[in-house]
Amino acid sequence: MPETAHVQVSHLTKRFGGVTAVDDVTFDVPKGAFATLLGPSGCGKTTTLRVIAGFYDPDAGDIRIGGRRVNDLPAHRRGTAMVFQDYALFPHMTVRDNVAYGLRVARVKANERDRRVNETLAFVGLQGMGERWPNQLSGGQQQRVAVARALVIEPQVLLLDEPLSNLDAKLREQLRVELRTMQRRLGMTFVYVTHDQEEALSLSDWIAVMNQGRVEQAGDPWEIYYHPRTAFLADFVGAVNLVPARVTELADGAVTVTFGPHRAAVRRPRETALSVGQDVRLCVRPESFTIAAAGAVPNGITLSGSVARRAFLGDTMRYWVKVDDREWIVDQPDPGAGAPLDGPVSLSLRPERVHVIPD
Amino acid sequence: MRSLRREPALLLALLAVIVLVLLFVVYPQVQVGVAPGFSGYLSFLEGGTWRIPLQNSLKVTALSTTTAVLLGFVYAYAMVYSQMRWKAFFNLIGILPLLSPPFVVAASYLLLFGNRGIITYGVFGQSPNPYGITGIWGVQTIAFFPFAYQLIADVLSRSDARMEQAARNLGASPWRVFWTVTLPLSRPGLAAAILTTAIYVLEDFGNPQLLGGLVTVLPTQAYSLISGFGDYTSAAAVCTILLLLALGLYVAKIRLDGGRSFVTISGRASSMPRPPVPAALSWACFVGCLALAGLILLVYGTLLVSALTFAFPYNLRLTIEHFQYVATGSNGDALRNTLFFSAAAAAISAVFALFAGWLVQRGEWPGRRLLDFLLIMPAAIPGIFFGIGYLTAFNQPWLDWVDRSWLIVLALVFWNIPVGYQAAAAGLRQIDRSIEEAATSLGASKLRGFWDVVRPMLGGSLRVGFVTTFVRAVTTLSLVIFLFTPPTTVATIRIYQLVNDLDWGGAAAFTVADISLAIVALVVFAFLARGRLVLGAARA
Ligand SMILES: Nc1ncnc2c1ncn2[C@@H]1O[C@H](COP(=O)(O)OP(=O)(O)O)[C@@H](O)[C@H]1O
Ligand SMILES: [Mg+2]
Repeated sequence: MPETAHVQVSHLTKRFGGVTAVDDVTFDVPKGAFATLLGPSGCGKTTTLRVIAGFYDPDAGDIRIGGRRVNDLPAHRRGTAMVFQDYALFPHMTVRDNVAYGLRVARVKANERDRRVNETLAFVGLQGMGERWPNQLSGGQQQRVAVARALVIEPQVLLLDEPLSNLDAKLREQLRVELRTMQRRLGMTFVYVTHDQEEALSLSDWIAVMNQGRVEQAGDPWEIYYHPRTAFLADFVGAVNLVPARVTELADGAVTVTFGPHRAAVRRPRETALSVGQDVRLCVRPESFTIAAAGAVPNGITLSGSVARRAFLGDTMRYWVKVDDREWIVDQPDPGAGAPLDGPVSLSLRPERVHVIPD
Repeated sequence: MRSLRREPALLLALLAVIVLVLLFVVYPQVQVGVAPGFSGYLSFLEGGTWRIPLQNSLKVTALSTTTAVLLGFVYAYAMVYSQMRWKAFFNLIGILPLLSPPFVVAASYLLLFGNRGIITYGVFGQSPNPYGITGIWGVQTIAFFPFAYQLIADVLSRSDARMEQAARNLGASPWRVFWTVTLPLSRPGLAAAILTTAIYVLEDFGNPQLLGGLVTVLPTQAYSLISGFGDYTSAAAVCTILLLLALGLYVAKIRLDGGRSFVTISGRASSMPRPPVPAALSWACFVGCLALAGLILLVYGTLLVSALTFAFPYNLRLTIEHFQYVATGSNGDALRNTLFFSAAAAAISAVFALFAGWLVQRGEWPGRRLLDFLLIMPAAIPGIFFGIGYLTAFNQPWLDWVDRSWLIVLALVFWNIPVGYQAAAAGLRQIDRSIEEAATSLGASKLRGFWDVVRPMLGGSLRVGFVTTFVRAVTTLSLVIFLFTPPTTVATIRIYQLVNDLDWGGAAAFTVADISLAIVALVVFAFLARGRLVLGAARA
């Protein structure tokens, strides 16, 4: 992926009356990336996106697109196009007229306009639907029209605000794949907003997790998922075990921690300063464990406990395993391979799968 | 604000709207307000000539509002709650008075109950004096209860039928539900409806003018001060008192309902069915509505019959002579003026209000609250005040080159701005902002987005604004009474003059023609709206 920054947001602040919706936010979106702003509802994602689009004026900070400062450009001159959560199709225009609208405004000649509209309708899988009215389409089809309408003008950056949140789960998954494929094929920079961590992880090249108007961490999905910088992040992007522990020894690339009666040497995080005696939390994803009936050959860190509860999730079996006086969440892939475990079990964990977060 | 600086065309459009509002809404009113000057006000107040008219205005407003609201409430309750028969008929009859100048009720009353009235003299051989407070009270009650009915029915039909259904399921009787659930919930709306009716009554000029005799109220005092004595200063002072009263009522009303519209002509949303009331109550409602509808029919039937007969009630031979009289010469011109002025004013007013409404509701610039207020305020300004304002401000020698028709059209446009403005605001509330933003993000400027997206979607608001303004323009007397000249006379003026001349046949025929104009407008409107419904169904 080319690493030049395409959308640059620097020290952006936006207030609504007394509420600071976006608080000194800075990030760069690489050119051609599928970039996602992820965060709980009300954390300022939409506001950030709308400032980029030019619908809101920032109280402080700059927006650059392709290196050019766009603060003083009106929304319609920024080379961005937006896909809205509620689609915002023009109800008094046919699908074709909806998609052609941006080209019409740009005074593209009629025959070229027709060609591009047809191409784009085909691209999003809506051939032959051009003469329908928006209210004759299903939610998924409406969303495709919304995407086509934005893509057809070939914007520099496509902004999408929770475009899938009004669809049912199955369709959401399908359109997710389609969006990702489209973005790859076009090589266009997407800035995508969602509160759904699964969606963010599966779609994005780059994620910024926001909380209370600030960016808590930005990076690739792998980094965000396995090496979150704060407990909030760890918890927000998926199920996690967060276990209080204490640093007892520091070495190059490794840190020794004690938790309960256990002691283990694990990977030392690069970006956080640690000191001996410091309270930390261990962050372990449920799928990082191997679970087996008690007495299996130990491998790496080993914990013995007993199954307290379990839940069958289809593709995985989730166990709550009581070890000493705390429960660990453990996922077992491919649960159909054997009978569900019960009673005493042993958990093993490779030390590099344990991530240390300062408390 | 920054977004305005980035779009100069939008800024220019906004400035144009502000300038027009300042020039045609604010400036004339200020002219009237300051005309007497400080010493003028002082000597006027000391003179005390205003005391009796003020007392009369207050007394008449209190009396007529009370009875009009009571009757209107009965009608509205029956229409919204009961299962009586003939609802479609009663609905139609209830609209009729909205389409006619209120003061024709006085004309009809004089025909029926005057000292040579059909009933008083013809039936009972009496010649009572029909003039005075009692006459005004009775006539205003009948003239304005249909307005009260529309306002109250609007409030009642908005009350939540589900809640009433729930209360009924808990075992409460219909009356109990009405008193303990519906009324408490609709109290602010009802109070606002009462205040709006009070403003209509307070500002009524035609009925007290025709029936007052020696009794003057504020609007008629202002009129006679100018037409009788040419005393603009005192008239302006009287008008200012009237305006302050009306504004007081209006501000109280806005507090209660957030400035929701006065009577506009549009289909009320059909609400979900309400729990049934006992059959006896429905019958009582039916009888009540029949009596009230009978009163309305009596008023307009009298006019229709006298329009169609030689000299009602002495010579009942049918004739079209009165209509010929109305259609020819200066009378024909007056009718044509009414049509053209009203159509022009309605078109300009609806379009301007839509655009201004969009700028105010969607804009983010300082001072939009003030413009919002200025666009709603004319609803509280008595027609007579507005008319005197235009007279004072624009009846200037250096404007002599302008056709006088414009003065009337502009007065109609800006006096009715709140109609279209509130319709636009209500329509905009139904349109998500993101639809406009979608246009913008696809490369359209805000103005272009307004034109391509908002305007077509607000067709309904535009029609409501147009028709309501048209009807109000066709039926107003007080606004134009100071603005007309012989070549720019309009129908309501002629009706008023003919009644004063006791030319009943002519006046009645004129009234029928005038009301027909309004009805035609309404029918065309309904037709257009249906056209849209059909289109919508074809698309669905
Ligand atoms: N137009 C607005 N006016 C006032 N407050 C707003 C507005 N838009 C957003 N906010 C507030 O700003 C905060 C962030 O909102 P938003 O950006 O919509 O969050 P998200 O999209 O992450 O759910 C919230 O507290 C919200 O209430
Ligand atoms: Mg949002």
